Amino acid sequence: MIGLTGLSRSQLIIALAVIAGFFVFPLYAGAFRTDQLGLFLCYVMFALSLDLIWGFTGILSLGNAIYFGGGAYFIGLALKLQYAATHATRYGEGAIPDFMTWNGLTEIPRWMRPLRNVWFAAPAGVLAMGFLAFVFGVITFKRHIYGVYCAVITLAESLIFEELIIEKQAYTGGFNGITDYDSYSGSLHFYWVILAVTVFFFWLSRKLTTTHFGMVLRSIRENELRSEFFGFEVANYKIFVFTVAAMMSAVAGGLYAALNGIVSHQDIGPILSIEGVIWVAVGGRGTLIGSMVGAILVKGAQSLLSEQFAWIWDLLVGFMFILIIVLMPDGIMGALLRRARRRRAIAAGRMPAYEAARIEETPTT
Amino acid sequence: MELTRRDLLKGAAAATAGAATFRAPSIFVRRLTQTSAQDNTIKVGILHSLSGTIAIIERSLHNAELLAIEEINAKGGVLGKKIEAIVEDPKSEVRFFKEKAEKLILRDKVVAVLGCYTSASRQSVLPVFEKTNSVLLYPTLYEAQECSYNCFYTGAVPNQQLTDFVPWLIKNVGPKFYLIGSNYIYPKETNREVKALLAKHGGQTVAEEYAPLGSTEFSTTINKIRAAKPNVVFSDLVGDSIVAFYKQYKQFGITAKDIPIATPITTEEEIRAMGPENAIGHFTSFNYFQSVKTPQNDRFVKAYKAKYGEDRVTNAVMEAAYFQTYFLAQAIEKLKGNTDPDALIQEGLPGQEFQAPQGKVKIDEKNHHTWLWARIGRANADGQFDILVTSNTWIRPQPWTKVLYPDKDCDFTKVPKGSKSGTITTKT
Amino acid sequence: MAEAVFAQFLTGFSIVAILLIISLGLAIIFGVMRVINMAHGDFIMIGAYVAYVLQYYLHLNLFWAVPAAFVVLGLLGVVVEWGLIRQLYGRPLETLLATWGVSIILQAGIRLTFGPELRYVKAPDALSGEFPVPGSNLPFPYFRLFIIVLALVLLLMTYWLLYRTDLGMHVRAVNQNRAMAAVLGIDTRRIDSAVFAFGSGLAGIAGVVVAPIKTVSPIMGFKYAVDSYMVIVLGGVGRLAGTLAGATVIGEGETVLAFLFNNVIGELLVFTMIVLVIRVFPQGLFTIQHRRTENL
Repeated sequence: MIGLTGLSRSQLIIALAVIAGFFVFPLYAGAFRTDQLGLFLCYVMFALSLDLIWGFTGILSLGNAIYFGGGAYFIGLALKLQYAATHATRYGEGAIPDFMTWNGLTEIPRWMRPLRNVWFAAPAGVLAMGFLAFVFGVITFKRHIYGVYCAVITLAESLIFEELIIEKQAYTGGFNGITDYDSYSGSLHFYWVILAVTVFFFWLSRKLTTTHFGMVLRSIRENELRSEFFGFEVANYKIFVFTVAAMMSAVAGGLYAALNGIVSHQDIGPILSIEGVIWVAVGGRGTLIGSMVGAILVKGAQSLLSEQFAWIWDLLVGFMFILIIVLMPDGIMGALLRRARRRRAIAAGRMPAYEAARIEETPTT
Repeated sequence: MELTRRDLLKGAAAATAGAATFRAPSIFVRRLTQTSAQDNTIKVGILHSLSGTIAIIERSLHNAELLAIEEINAKGGVLGKKIEAIVEDPKSEVRFFKEKAEKLILRDKVVAVLGCYTSASRQSVLPVFEKTNSVLLYPTLYEAQECSYNCFYTGAVPNQQLTDFVPWLIKNVGPKFYLIGSNYIYPKETNREVKALLAKHGGQTVAEEYAPLGSTEFSTTINKIRAAKPNVVFSDLVGDSIVAFYKQYKQFGITAKDIPIATPITTEEEIRAMGPENAIGHFTSFNYFQSVKTPQNDRFVKAYKAKYGEDRVTNAVMEAAYFQTYFLAQAIEKLKGNTDPDALIQEGLPGQEFQAPQGKVKIDEKNHHTWLWARIGRANADGQFDILVTSNTWIRPQPWTKVLYPDKDCDFTKVPKGSKSGTITTKT
Repeated sequence: MAEAVFAQFLTGFSIVAILLIISLGLAIIFGVMRVINMAHGDFIMIGAYVAYVLQYYLHLNLFWAVPAAFVVLGLLGVVVEWGLIRQLYGRPLETLLATWGVSIILQAGIRLTFGPELRYVKAPDALSGEFPVPGSNLPFPYFRLFIIVLALVLLLMTYWLLYRTDLGMHVRAVNQNRAMAAVLGIDTRRIDSAVFAFGSGLAGIAGVVVAPIKTVSPIMGFKYAVDSYMVIVLGGVGRLAGTLAGATVIGEGETVLAFLFNNVIGELLVFTMIVLVIRVFPQGLFTIQHRRTENL
């Protein structure tokens, strides 16, 4: 078990305790909080994927919601087609989704029919998003587009997709999105599925980042050019990790759609991506744990603050965010982990105190 | 431990059932019908965006509802109980609308929710209301073709705004219409009805065009309009786009004398944001204008200004938000304090009448929509509307407008008990 | 038809001018400091609110708002640069995120102060109305002409500052090689401050001039921010010609496509085109060549 996860005994115990905590949470919380936590776990997976590409590889993508939202649309559409086939909707006799009726379609387009089977739609969505990420990855990374350029290009891509979704309303529900299908909200079983997938993704991300492969990713983040001179095909590494992250996002998005019962263009637009990057930054980039903590912390704070202080909650979020960026460049977990590492190193005598102090000071960018 | 194991088993059983039918088992969704008999307040949820893109208009609905609640409470509340407003801000994003609706229903256990503005937001929350069997009162004019058991629609549907308006425009302005709208369901559906009415009354559509939502650059569209030489520009642009379009229309030198803009959605609120000089002479069809002369309206306008500022204007959507709050209060009174949702939906709300600022209004007994007045107004130099035409009587709402769907209707008395939709097909 | 095309071409110019004004400030900041200011759109928004406040509370003509917004936003720029950007020096991606936080705060602050409603800002009386374009009887708004002229003036002024003054020479030196400039005794921090303040001031002016033709609300900034990122990414950094080229391609492109098809398709095609252009010219259409080994 220990070998499989690459965690130390104490880390493993903590991890299991946390998982157990998440496992039993719904038995004590109400339906509303359980659903909410399920959604947070979807965001956690999204944050994990962002941490892989930004935290470890240094690619700042403001368009990762494309893959999250894409996965969500595949599942949302599948569930909607299924629902429409058996239920009269509020708007008509049924058989096809309401938004298709509105837009003058009388039957489901041929190419969309396979999606009626959700067991086809789910893998199809993930693969399609993987392929899309691969194409965008090739376009971007083979030409050495990096840094803020990459951020702006991915932002543009995200806007293109958001607009396409709104424009092609006959197939996507347009601005209104896809709603009114059977969701898994309120299902304990489904919550556990989400939890299991989250744990699996965490394990996968750890495998990816603690191996030799992960070392190369970090070297790319630290200095792309030098890594290239060492003979690594930097672009291919980036494309690979970008694609994997996109597929993870797509899975997260699909689960999100199935749980939430609604998919909208906002799930594909740049705001969600930026929010995701914020979670990773707050939690601590390049730590995996940090991104997960960040997602839950920020989403939780948002949810609670907006219930308590409906008027000024985003003001508070803004200030908190800036303070963390400036005062804790590695995020909350980054700062905690560094301190722990330093203490261990000194205690084990592996490192003189002045050297350890230096770790404390250097930001990892 | 005992509890945990039982819940686990229940969960597993539900999950198996769920996998078999692909329906969400709702073991956590509690029935929330208990009346707040022992409480001293009646909790009502208010769900309008206070931030984000839609807050521009939605804030005023929130204000109007709070005003109505304040008035009701000042008069002693409902059966001696005060109404307690629980306000949530879904910040213009549908996912927050859904989350906040769940919160209001499941955690705060409100009697009903007054809320939503866009169709997108309404559709995102309706499944929540249907699943938990709760009540939503929705104040916005909308594209109709919907008829949910759990929703009451107090805004106008197309037949209440267009049926008289389009023929009037053809007769008094001219037959050639240029249609421009924002790119989503409401304008598209409205334009479909406009086109049908044009065909029926001898009008003509010279062009139909859609701009991305939130778009504020219309110079190209205006050039196209100039080239197409229509008699009327029929606009169902929404939000920011309205203001930018009227301003640029004027700046490019087209006045209402040349080609007037006619619209079912531009209110005093947008005119205030664009400046009266940019709106002069353009037509709006609505149920209510601030300039309506009724004692109820005088009181409403005065109270609103006193509470929110002298420079505020009132508009049709917030008027609906205002009177739907009274509908709810009256319904609870009629049921003698019973707030069971089925009672509210079947007995409390249908047929409810109120002397609203626009005149007497009524919730239809059968279709959950509202009988409203129809008016045509022309914007004047004060940012108000000169009312040119007022309908002789209140107009029955047609959720399925007769022009487009002659064989469809909405009637909850004719559908089986427990139906979530009141839509029926009648053989003609 | 010919007349319509001509009218379209002219309107295109006014859109190019708007794009140029809104992205000039960002381009200068990005060019010299290599940081993206995510709050740029909100600086524009604040500029529009300066115009609103002057007009609504002090009954001053819009012309007064131009210098006022420049000063107010310049000061805000100094504060943000000193309090935030400087703390994150050398970490452009963190800067990008931190300025996103600034954006959230500015939007919330304005919303809490003025409410979420749309606000009304009037064009000066002298510039309301329209004139026939010479050689045709097409009307063209005076205010759009004013924007075109103002865009040219600001462009020339910036050019003069950058290429004809000592300060500008220092700025260009920092732009081309920060370390070397510092070695030669240029106070790069002061240059950064000045550049950020100047760029922010330009954003303020942009806010003033878009206020009368578009809408004024706390959330108006995002659209302008996106447009201006597109302009500088397409145009490339470090040269004003790039910004001009980016604005021209996007502005005329969108107008022509919107005329041929519709607004939605126009916007989509232009964004797609930008992504493709970047594929071919990763550094934008115009740029000063930097050796890639610079950060080795």
